Parts: sequence; C-alpha cells; structure tokens
Amino acid sequence: MADPIQTAPGEKSFRVVMFADFICPYCYIGQERMKQLARDYGVHPQWRPYWLHPEVPPEGASMPQSADRDRARTVKEWLEEMEPEKAARIRFPGKLQYSFLAFEAVEFAQDRGLALPFTSAVYDALWVEGKDIAQISTLQEAAAGTGLDADELGRALREHRYTEQTRKAVEASRTAGVTNTPTYILGRTAIKGWHYYEVFQTVMEKQGMLPIKP
Amino acid sequence: MALCPIERGGRRDPNLLISDLEDRPAPARKKHGGRGRDADPQSAGEEVLLTQYLVDPRGLPWKAGQTEGITFQCQVFLSGTDGGPEAIRFRFDPCRRVYAHMHLTAQFQLLLGGTMDFPKSTMKLRPLAVHYADHNLPYGPFATGEGHEMLVLHPRQGGLVSMADREARKQINLAGRQLVAMDKDREWVEVLGHEGVRCKFLLPPGAGPQAMIMECPAGWLMPVPVPAYGRYEVVLDGSIAVEDRSLGPAGLRYVIGDEQPAPLKIGPGGARLMFLSFDADALAGGLGDDRLSRAAAEAIERAI
Repeated sequence: MADPIQTAPGEKSFRVVMFADFICPYCYIGQERMKQLARDYGVHPQWRPYWLHPEVPPEGASMPQSADRDRARTVKEWLEEMEPEKAARIRFPGKLQYSFLAFEAVEFAQDRGLALPFTSAVYDALWVEGKDIAQISTLQEAAAGTGLDADELGRALREHRYTEQTRKAVEASRTAGVTNTPTYILGRTAIKGWHYYEVFQTVMEKQGMLPIKP
Repeated sequence: MALCPIERGGRRDPNLLISDLEDRPAPARKKHGGRGRDADPQSAGEEVLLTQYLVDPRGLPWKAGQTEGITFQCQVFLSGTDGGPEAIRFRFDPCRRVYAHMHLTAQFQLLLGGTMDFPKSTMKLRPLAVHYADHNLPYGPFATGEGHEMLVLHPRQGGLVSMADREARKQINLAGRQLVAMDKDREWVEVLGHEGVRCKFLLPPGAGPQAMIMECPAGWLMPVPVPAYGRYEVVLDGSIAVEDRSLGPAGLRYVIGDEQPAPLKIGPGGARLMFLSFDADALAGGLGDDRLSRAAAEAIERAI
C-alpha cells in the first residue's frame, strides 16, 4: 500500500484520517473528534494503525516506568479538565497491551465499511471495560455491537487473513512520516496530538468544508 | 521607581564577543511607547522608542492575586501598558490544577523555585527551567508545588485566555511551538577566549527562541548582541550594573531593536545570567480591539 490515506472508491474527496494506536489514552479521547466530524461534516474518517509498542508480546507486558501510577494519575487529572465525561469512565489498564490483533480486526471492519464504529467499540473495550484487546473474544464482542459478523471475524483472525494487509498498513504509517499519536490529516492539514474540537472545525472550514447541519 | 525605561540611541558595535546569541537585523515592528500610552512620567506625552527596560524588583510591591480559585502572590515588573514588554514574577500557592490557558503573545516562563508538572512525562519542570509558548498556543493544565516561583515574560501584553472559552479555541495557533528545557539536563560550555566565562544552552541557537545561562566573572564588561525581536536578561545570582544602575537576583533588563544595547558590567561577586531571546513570533498576536483581546486583557487585570 503506497498511500496510507488513500481515498476509498466513491468516497468524498476530502480526506480525514486518524493515525492511532488503541493503547494510547489520547487516541481514545481523540476518537470522539472523528465521530463528531463524521456527524457534522458528512465525511468518512479513516482509522490507520500506528503501532506504538511493536516489542510487546501477545500476552502483554508490564508498564514502562514512564507509565506508572503517577503518570496515570496526572493523565487522569488532565482528562478531568479536558474531557470530564470520559475521565469519569476511563479505567487505566494494568499492563501494556498487544495491539496488532486489534489492528487486523480493523482491516476486517474497514473492508466492510464499519471501521469507525468498530474502532470506537475497541477503545471502549480497553479503556472503559478494562478488557484485553489481544483476545479474539474481546474483538468479537466489540464487532457484534457494530453490525459485523463476529464469527466471521474470529475465523479471519485465526486464519491470519488480514495479517499481511495489516503489516503493510503499519509500515505505511511509518513511511508517511507519522511520529506520534494521535496524528490527524484533515484535507491538506496535519494535526498532531490532542486538540479541542473547535480547532478541527476551524481547519475544516478554512478548507471550505461547511457543517451539513446549521 | 524601580521600573526604569530608558530611551536609547547608540550605535551598533560590530565587535560582538558572544556570537551565539541571536544577532540579526530587527524586523519592522510597531514603535514602543506610543504617544500618551506610557504610564511612565519620563515618556508620557512624547513619541519615544523604548529599546531598554531595567527592573529592580526590590522596590516593587507584592500583591495577592487569584484566578478561578488559583491563588498566588505577584510582582508586576513591567506592565506593558506603554506598548512595551510585560513581565511579572509569580509565586503560586501549591495547586493540583492550574487550568489550561493561552496568551496572545509569545511567552517565556522561567521557573526559579518549586515545581511545575505538566501531564507529559517529559514536562516535569524543576528549577532552573524554561517553558516557552508561541502566541495563542494553549498549555496546561499543570500542577505547582511548594516554593513555586517563576518569571512570566512577554514581548508585549499577552492577556490571559482560559481554554474553557469555546470561541477562543477557534483562534488557537495550530503551528505554535511549546518548548521546555531544564538546567540540570544541559552541560556547561567554556567560552573560548574569556577565562571564567561559561554558558549553557537550554534552548540552543537555531531552534527559534533561545535560552542561555551565562556564568560571568567579577568585573567583566560583557558586550551583548543586537536583540532584534526582544531579549530578557535576568540576573540569577550575583549582580550586574547597567549604566550605573545595579541589579541583583531576579533583576532584569529587556532590550529590543536593531542597535546594540549597553554592555553589562558584572558585579564584584560575579554573576549568573539567563538570556531569553524571542524570535519572529514575538511580532505576532497581541491585544487588539476584538472580543477575545478585550476578554484576555480583562482576565489578567482581574487576576493581578
């Protein structure tokens, strides 16, 4: 895959892409921005994997020192000011989780046009329900709530049908110059890190994208 | 009066000894100290271009202030009401969450005491530390710890904008830079040809705004380069004299313009100085007549 943010056939030409990893709390918060943009501007955001910790094995790993309890506390305090509703629900995982299987599931969902709701469901599984997203059963539960065929997803993951496609997607994100998460592409503008929704609105409207509802 | 703006003429001295400090032609900018706007009796009512401000904090009153329940003591070094720089020394009471906010001009924060903890693991600031933000770039929330003291330094009045203001969020500077550096993470570098002089770059040349600590021996007459976009020179320890005025710890000089400022005469006990140089972002933003500017100006006025 040469272009990680290629526009899907038949899609509006204005590209909205989020490069993210499920294990990043700022991406969990940032996912809401994608849903808001889809609602307000009628765009079809793409979620592309940026693998933060490829060294983590499928069973997970203990948190690095920088992600200790103090860090979880300060991030939570930050969230309490920035996103109070999310802060009230967030649950920090006890270990660093393995993301790649969930990335494979995203490819499966994307082929069926349901990547946006599916990625939201995976974030909720990890950050609200405290589940392990390296488990096929977790991903199947997330899929079931979004209209995907959970059994088919299970088979696809066990048979590694999306492994190669996912590897290419991860590689494409790196070669696209993404260096941190979340990174958003809105038309011609890149936005790095967490930002207020009003910033996204300004960037959209400066490029001629007006809200579909007044 | 501790605050002493001085009108300077002078000529540019090509014989610069500290070549690593920013030295480039000053860009076009508004005149400082416009007619009738300067509260200082020396300049009120006349057209002046102030290129140097000296502040000796010893004579300045401390005031109690608060914003959104965050309490602090402050000394207004330079009010910026003359169109010139705005500089305030703050001592925040310990606070777990100083709300996210931005200012409408570029800003250096020089942490002199206590702690400032941002959520990012790389932004747990301990003295001496420098935090720089471009105009209209939000930062925070952050926590302040016991013994907190910092200088907040702007090229012009910056106002205060809480990010709870949704309209203000539309004016965020998306390309804005936020830079931090701490003294403890940098190495001293000997300044060749000047015995007893060494420096430490916190924000090195080439990165836009610059921050540098210099350790200087007693009695040295230290030439300084043209400040261009504006530069704060802060006494950390020891003393300096500028044109017969002596400045001790936390005393400062602000210089701007395309002419070389007067040299700094290092005091009898030597001195450690911090040089904080703005870049072109110092020309951007500022308080205008729009709603956000008015709100920002009122917010800082209420706070201090």
